[in-house]
Amino acid sequence: MAAETQTPTANVLPPPRTEVGVIGWMHANLFSSRLNSALTVVSGALLLLILWYGSRWIFGTADWTVVKTVGGLFLIGSYNTELACPGQNCFWRPQGSLLMVTALLGMIWGIMGGGVARRIAILTAVVAALFAFLPYSLERMGWDVRILLLANVPATAIGWALARYTPLGQAKWAVVWGVAAFLITLVLLRGVPNVPGLQPVSVVYWGGLTLNLLLAVGGISLSLPIGIALALGRRSNLPVVKLLCVAFIEIFRGVPLITLLFMSQTLVPLAFPEDFPQNSLFRAAVVITMFSSAYMAENIRGGLQALHPGQAEAARALGLPGWQTTMLISLPQAIRNVIPAIVGQFIALFKDTSLVYIIGMVDIVEMGRVFISRPEYLGSAREMFVFLAIVFWVFTYGMSYISRRIENHLGVGQR
Amino acid sequence: MTTNGHTVLDEEIITCRDVHKWFGNFHALRGITTSVKKGEVVVIIGPSGSGKSTFIRTLNRLEQHQRGDIIVDGIELSNDVRNIDAIRRDVGMVFQSFNLFPHLTVMDNITLAPTKVRKLPAKEADDIAMELLERVGIPEQADKYPAQLSGGQQQRVAIARALAMQPNIMLFDEPTSALDPEMIKEVLEVMRELAASNMTILAVTHELGFAREVADRIVMFDEGIIVEDQAPDEFFNNPRHERVKHFLSQIL
Repeated sequence: MAAETQTPTANVLPPPRTEVGVIGWMHANLFSSRLNSALTVVSGALLLLILWYGSRWIFGTADWTVVKTVGGLFLIGSYNTELACPGQNCFWRPQGSLLMVTALLGMIWGIMGGGVARRIAILTAVVAALFAFLPYSLERMGWDVRILLLANVPATAIGWALARYTPLGQAKWAVVWGVAAFLITLVLLRGVPNVPGLQPVSVVYWGGLTLNLLLAVGGISLSLPIGIALALGRRSNLPVVKLLCVAFIEIFRGVPLITLLFMSQTLVPLAFPEDFPQNSLFRAAVVITMFSSAYMAENIRGGLQALHPGQAEAARALGLPGWQTTMLISLPQAIRNVIPAIVGQFIALFKDTSLVYIIGMVDIVEMGRVFISRPEYLGSAREMFVFLAIVFWVFTYGMSYISRRIENHLGVGQR
Repeated sequence: MTTNGHTVLDEEIITCRDVHKWFGNFHALRGITTSVKKGEVVVIIGPSGSGKSTFIRTLNRLEQHQRGDIIVDGIELSNDVRNIDAIRRDVGMVFQSFNLFPHLTVMDNITLAPTKVRKLPAKEADDIAMELLERVGIPEQADKYPAQLSGGQQQRVAIARALAMQPNIMLFDEPTSALDPEMIKEVLEVMRELAASNMTILAVTHELGFAREVADRIVMFDEGIIVEDQAPDEFFNNPRHERVKHFLSQIL
C-alpha cells in the first residue's frame, strides 16, 4: 500500500518528556545508563564530603591570623616601610596608580557600554574601596590613605563619564591612557630624585601583588606584539630573518624560566649599553617577556598555519599588497582562532611572575613564605597557601572569563 | 560583432604566447598560446589535472609561469611587483570555495579592496558595494557575516567583491562546483548578466548549459595543452578530437 501523503507540518509533535526540561536533562546527562547513574551518585557523594569538610576547615579549624597579619603587605610588600621610604609616607604612590587603573576600567566600561567591562570595573572599584576598611599591618596607615582607597569609586565614575560624554570615548584613547598609566605608575613607584614627595624607592622593595601585576601587565602587553612579529618572521621568505626568529623562539622556549631568571642578572646587562639604567626588576621583566613571547609566537604561528590558503589568495587577487593581506586578513583570523591558547599563555605568565623570588624579589607568594617561616606562624602554611591560591585563581579566572566573552563576541566557531 | 547577447570588440585584452608552468618536476602547462578579445566570454573545460585552473591562475600571477609571455590589458606579467599589482587591480577573480573573509561583514568584504587599494572614500565605496549587492540580488544581507549566508549567496558576494574593484576582466575558477543544484542557478544568473554587460570573462566550469548559451568560445585543456578551441555549436555538435568526444561522453 502506498504511504499516505501528509502536509509537511502535520507530523510536528511536542518532544517526549525525556528530551526537554529538568527531568529530560537529568535523564540524558546524569542517569542515562546504570554506569552513569552509579558515577553520578558516587561523585555527588564525594562533592558533598569535600564541601562539608572543606567548609568546616575554612570556617572552623583554620586559623587565619597569619593572613590578617600580613594584610596590606600582600598588596605592596615592603614598599612603604621605613627602610624603603625613610621619613615619608609613600603609600599614596601605589594607591595613585590604583586610581589610574580604576579610572581606566571605568573608561573601558564607558566605551564598551556595559557587559563584562561594567562588571569588572564595578567589582574592582568596590573591592578597592572595601580595602579602606580592612586592618593593615602597614606602618603609617592613616585615614588619608584610606580616603585614597575610597576614591577608587569616584575614579571609576570619572573614567566612565569621560568616555561617555567627551571625545575620549574611543578604544584608541583607552589604549593611550592604559600605556600612559603604566608608565606613570613606574615613575611614581620608582620616584624622581630631588622632587619632594617623590623620593626614589629602590626596586628591591617593590613587592607583593603589585609586583606580580606589574610584571604580568608589562609582559602581557609586550609579549603579544613581539610574539606576532616573531611568528611572522618565522614564516618569512627571507632566510636571515627566519633563522633569527627560529633561533630566538627555540632558545627561549628551550630553557626553563628559572634558568633564564638566574641568567638574566648576568646576561641582560650585556645586551644594553653600559650606562643604560638597569636593575634586577628590569632584567627579570625582560626575560619573562622574552620567554612568553617565544611561546606566543608559536601559538600565533599555529593560528596562521591553520588558515585556508585561499584567504591570502583572495586578498592578493584583489590587489592587496602582502603586508596589508597579513595585517587585515591573515592576522585577525589567526589571532581569533588561537584566543584560548593566547589567554592560556597570559595566565601562565601571570603565575610565573611569582618565580622572581629566586632573584631576591618579594612577590605576594614570597611575602607569604616569609611570614610562615616565622616561629609564631609555624603551623599556618596551609592557611597561607590556600589564601594565595585563591588570590591567583581570582585573577586567572577573571582572564579566562574575559577571554570566553571575547570569543563569544567574535563568534568563534560559528562560521 | 554581436553574439550570445553581448558585444565582442576586435581588440585583444589577454595574449598568451607559449606559456609553460612546472610544479617541481610536473609539467603542468606545456606551451599555451591563445588570446582573448575584449568582451569575449571564454569557457574553459577539461578533466581534472589538465591545467585549466593553473592556466587562469597564471593570468593574475597567483601562479607564476616559468616560460613564455602573458600580456593582460596591455601590461606584461613579469616579476615586477608594480605590474603584478596593476594587473590584479584590473582582473577580478572568483574561487570555487568563495574565500570570503569570515571575520568581516559582507559590506566590509566588498569595500576592503576599494578603500585600501584604490583609496576610495568610505562613503563612495559603500555606495558602490550597495549597488553591486543589488546587482547580485542580495542587498538585504549587507550587514551579515559570510557564515550566515547560503553557499549561493556567498558566491554572489564574492562576485560583488571582485566587481567592486571595477575590473576589466573576470576570472571564474569553478564558481559553482561547491554549490547545491538550486544555488548553481542563481550564481549562473549573475554570470549571465555580467556577460551581457560586455565584461570579458574566462570561466573554468563544468556547466555546459551555461557554456552553450553564453560562451563565445569553449577551450578544452588536456594534459597541459589546449586540445580544442571552438565556438559552442562547433564544439558540441562537431568535435574534431577524439579526446573531446570522450570527455563529452563522460560528463553529458
